[in-house]
Amino acid sequence: MKKTIVLALVALLIVVSASAFVFAAKTVNIGCVIYKFDDTFMTAVRNNISAAAKEKGAKVDIVDAQNSQATCNDKVDLFITKKMNAMAINPVDRSACGVIIDKAKKANIPLVLFNREPFKEDIAKWNKVYYVGAIAAESGTMMGKLVVDYWKSHPEADKNKDGVLQYVMLKGEPGHQDAELRTEYSIKAVKDAGIKVDKLAEDTAMWDRVKGQEKMAAFLAANGDKIEAVFANNDDMALGAIEALKAAGYFKDGKYMPVASVDATAPALQALQDGTLLGTVLNDAKNQGRATLNLSYVLARGQKPTKANVGYEIVEGKYVWVPYKPITKANIKDAL
Amino acid sequence: MKKALQFLSENAIYFVLVVLILVIAFVDSRFISITCLRDILVQSSTRVIIALGAMFAILTAGADLSSGRMVGFAAVISASMLQAPTYLRLFYPDLPKLLEAVPLLGSIWLVIPILIAIIVTTIFGLLNGFIISRFGVPPFIATLGTMVIVYGINSIYFNLPPNNSQPIGGLRADFTGLGTGAFGSGDFSLPYIVVIAMLVSIFMWILMNKTRFGKNTYAIGGNINAAKVSGINVARTTVAMYAIAGALYGLAGVLEAARTGGATNNYGNMYELDAIAACVVGGVSTTGGIGTIQGILAGVLIFGVINYGLTFIGLDPYWQLIIKGIIIISAVAVDIRKYLTKK
Repeated sequence: MKKTIVLALVALLIVVSASAFVFAAKTVNIGCVIYKFDDTFMTAVRNNISAAAKEKGAKVDIVDAQNSQATCNDKVDLFITKKMNAMAINPVDRSACGVIIDKAKKANIPLVLFNREPFKEDIAKWNKVYYVGAIAAESGTMMGKLVVDYWKSHPEADKNKDGVLQYVMLKGEPGHQDAELRTEYSIKAVKDAGIKVDKLAEDTAMWDRVKGQEKMAAFLAANGDKIEAVFANNDDMALGAIEALKAAGYFKDGKYMPVASVDATAPALQALQDGTLLGTVLNDAKNQGRATLNLSYVLARGQKPTKANVGYEIVEGKYVWVPYKPITKANIKDAL
Repeated sequence: MKKALQFLSENAIYFVLVVLILVIAFVDSRFISITCLRDILVQSSTRVIIALGAMFAILTAGADLSSGRMVGFAAVISASMLQAPTYLRLFYPDLPKLLEAVPLLGSIWLVIPILIAIIVTTIFGLLNGFIISRFGVPPFIATLGTMVIVYGINSIYFNLPPNNSQPIGGLRADFTGLGTGAFGSGDFSLPYIVVIAMLVSIFMWILMNKTRFGKNTYAIGGNINAAKVSGINVARTTVAMYAIAGALYGLAGVLEAARTGGATNNYGNMYELDAIAACVVGGVSTTGGIGTIQGILAGVLIFGVINYGLTFIGLDPYWQLIIKGIIIISAVAVDIRKYLTKK
């Protein structure tokens, strides 16, 4: 009796492990970390990664680093223990990529970093590290150009006729790469177009709609009608600012304020339609998500990534650049 | 002289408020204006309601960490059901059709999502009270648990297709009007949201000062054993306290969505700490049993003035944080002194 049970158990064990082996050989397992699950843009990227994985029949574990680099590293260790075929990591802190790359190299698991660019010297450490993302400065430049176009085609935008653009800036989290670059390059684009600028106020609204509204209310109280343009590092803050502007009587009876931002979220597109938001810049979540998954998938199967099998051009053998796109009322369709 | 000092110390928070306003006005005199006053009141409205809810836990020597996430959940619930039918991306794409098909439902619909949101947070409040009174879990831990649970449920709801965690926007004009509209116009307008906050404050003042429930709350906070011995039903009072707190968080969340014209699952993040800070700065004793509604109003206004005023004068955001921290510590240090000298 006992013997038959033991035999049955052994048989079962063999069947299970054999099927697991076959199963493992067939499916491609990819471990994916997102820096923060409640970030709007990264959620869109995450959804596109899942969708692309479904099409390819790959299995992706997507986990949340809760905006903590320590948690992110813990998840990477977990994926290494689980012997994933490839990892797609959206780091919390770009300067921490070096450690992640070392871990992946040691375990010999190909690595795709996305959305936060590692330093050049880190990415050069190993030949199986890739980066998918946008050129962050480009979003700032495009946001600046949206305001430049408006300024040049609307002479009345220069309210006090001094030939200088008086603006306020709503900044994302201080120290965040996107916040710093968008702030710097948007104004650089305006200056490069030959327009003099005068910064009336700049404050951080932490990417947040509520704070955007509150800071803008204070800016308006302090500067009133002197403000000629509003730059916001993302749509949520811009939409908050628009609410504050509405409360101050803007967007009716011919009173207008150009507001430009980045992201092209659904509420921002509605604001473009309503004519309250001048323009936004599409950070292409769809193609970032797809490029990340496609590249990880190719690497997980041990192939060499090329434009043919990934569907995106590989620059310098390391990078997939997903371009930004300026969106105004005229081309809303591109962002839908 | 001694009397004057005592008067100063007992009313320290009000002096801090006045001094703050004077300092900011000294840097930029335009700060003394109706626009600034109104902006500060509007920005403080939802925070007053949250702080009044958070008061209960502190009054009974605990802390309610779940307030912020409850605010966020109520904001998402109400916003998800109150989008304009013309919006590009509806949370419930079939809702406009339903409202059109049932005529009466369409005309009273505005009220229903608001009630649903408040009922949901009230249920979580009841749950807080139940866990604390029945299982004896310390409030700090019990509400830490519900804080995480509520955020989890909110995120699941927010991630439902077709929304997939996109910010909820395009809210109905009658709903956003609640948060942005006002009685009167121009300089002499009184925003609805400020009126709502005032009504809630008056209600809470009556509840805490004129009803048996209010007296029982202070008694439990002062000395729970004495309260038990004198025949107060501690368990029932505790559950009621947390339920009322939940309802207040729900109301605040609804107003937060109406005021900003949108919502995400990240709304209300860290509000619990702001609410606790406003309470303790407003003189609610962390050892329990002591605290007034008017003190809490002053506490919220102090932070309202800091947030708005320091941005108004263009102070570096990092410095704003440092000043906030100093004010929290010094206000409580001064406040504690008056109880120390009494002893």
